[in-house]
Amino acid sequence: MSPLECAQFERMLEQQPDAPLSAGAVAHLEDCVDCQSLWSDMEAIRTAGMEWGSDEIEPPEYLWASLRRQLESEGLIRERTARRGWLLVWFGTAPRWAMAGASISLLLIAAMLAAYHVSEPKSAAVLPMRLSISAVRPQVAVADIGKALEGDVKDVFNSLPEGNPVLASSLRENLGIVDNLIAVCEESVREQPDDPISRDYLYGAYQQKAVLLATATDRSALEGQ
Amino acid sequence: MKGRVSSAVPFRVAGTMLVAFFIAGSAGAQTRRFERHFTVQGKPVVSVQNATGRIQVRAWDKPEVLIVGQRGSSNVEVDTEQVGNRIEIATRVTAASANSEVLRADYDISVPVESELQVRSDSGNVVVDSVHGDMSFDTVAADLALQDVEGYLMIKSIGGSTVCTRCAGRLDATSISGNFQLLQPTMDNVRVQTSSGNILFDGGFMNRGIYVLKNYSGTIEVRFSSSDSFDVRATSLYGNVVNQAPVVPDRHNMPAPRNGLAKSLFGTMNDGRAKVELSSFNGTIKISKRE
Repeated sequence: MSPLECAQFERMLEQQPDAPLSAGAVAHLEDCVDCQSLWSDMEAIRTAGMEWGSDEIEPPEYLWASLRRQLESEGLIRERTARRGWLLVWFGTAPRWAMAGASISLLLIAAMLAAYHVSEPKSAAVLPMRLSISAVRPQVAVADIGKALEGDVKDVFNSLPEGNPVLASSLRENLGIVDNLIAVCEESVREQPDDPISRDYLYGAYQQKAVLLATATDRSALEGQ
Repeated sequence: MKGRVSSAVPFRVAGTMLVAFFIAGSAGAQTRRFERHFTVQGKPVVSVQNATGRIQVRAWDKPEVLIVGQRGSSNVEVDTEQVGNRIEIATRVTAASANSEVLRADYDISVPVESELQVRSDSGNVVVDSVHGDMSFDTVAADLALQDVEGYLMIKSIGGSTVCTRCAGRLDATSISGNFQLLQPTMDNVRVQTSSGNILFDGGFMNRGIYVLKNYSGTIEVRFSSSDSFDVRATSLYGNVVNQAPVVPDRHNMPAPRNGLAKSLFGTMNDGRAKVELSSFNGTIKISKRE
């Protein structure tokens, strides 16, 4: 197969990645091993991308509840659809994946806490009244995640290697420290909801918990084999 | 006479058994000892993964990596691999045990001065001496002692503490309950965060250096000399700031924190060449004059 044809094939993929192959391109593909390899790679990437997109994280439950109320009040929907909780979907699987999800969700919550501004007029103007974000809403989501994760955290900690008691006790001790920090920082945010410094500390505490859970999961998976 | 002979027999048997045990134990210790040599060119990257046990890394002037170690038992194996200048060392558990001593492995590693290190350890101590190169440490309860090292140092620990003596370069370190002590550092970029641990920075602030030290509780202490030149911004939200530095009001228009409850200090010492940011949630921040 001449390099020119391969170059043309590659250019065609580059310019129209989602377009169906022309007859000439199909003919070229049948004869060219290199382009077959390129094509199969592109297919794999495309498939992975589609699967990735179908797995996207859903917004928090309270946002759905607010949206649902809004739509019901406007008569756009009449009854609630049966819907499996996103927490159950996430955390109803194996502990390792649940913990990985937990770490990510903690980071997401932390990012949300860091990002939202309670009394920012711009947010209030853009969002409908019922969808405006208040200081307590993220805590509701956090509490839900906390409950859902409790069992999985225990499972992961119970699966830490028996031969390294120092590891297990250190992780448990530090989990207690971080949980305590989160409680103290949440109280601080409740007392001073407009204070960015308090929110930063709470954000940092969640980040640390995410790191701790990721470490515990890593150690249990690695050494428990 | 007959009685004497019969009473001596048990002693002889016991003695023989003791000798046999000693020989067997010694042979076992010998078989659990291992030594590997790897010839390298230029700057090697050495990666060590050891869940339990001591890791000691020292620099030497040979273009060679030498690993001498001792396994706690036959329940652990040591895997090593060299691919070009990359050398990987990993302790592998072959049979589980509830006894941590059985699963431990101790390493004495000699590397060229210019080497990069990646160390992962859960419990045990990690000591690195006189190595120049980027290093990363991922530990849970293992304590870390670094001395005379130079490079970009990244430390992630959960409960282990770090003592860094005469370290140079750049440091990025986080822990949850670990303490950090930086003694006589010559570093121009330091970021340390621990939740409940203490942080001590006892060294000069370099011109244009940035030093960010943060914790939630515990003490952050920095020690300065009269020739140091830095801008300082220290804030403890619910704790205290104790200052001995003769700072003047900040000349560089750094914004003050908005929280009215926080104890804070904003100021400049000498020309304010370095930037020092100290923050704590409810801990104590001390800015002390070096004796």
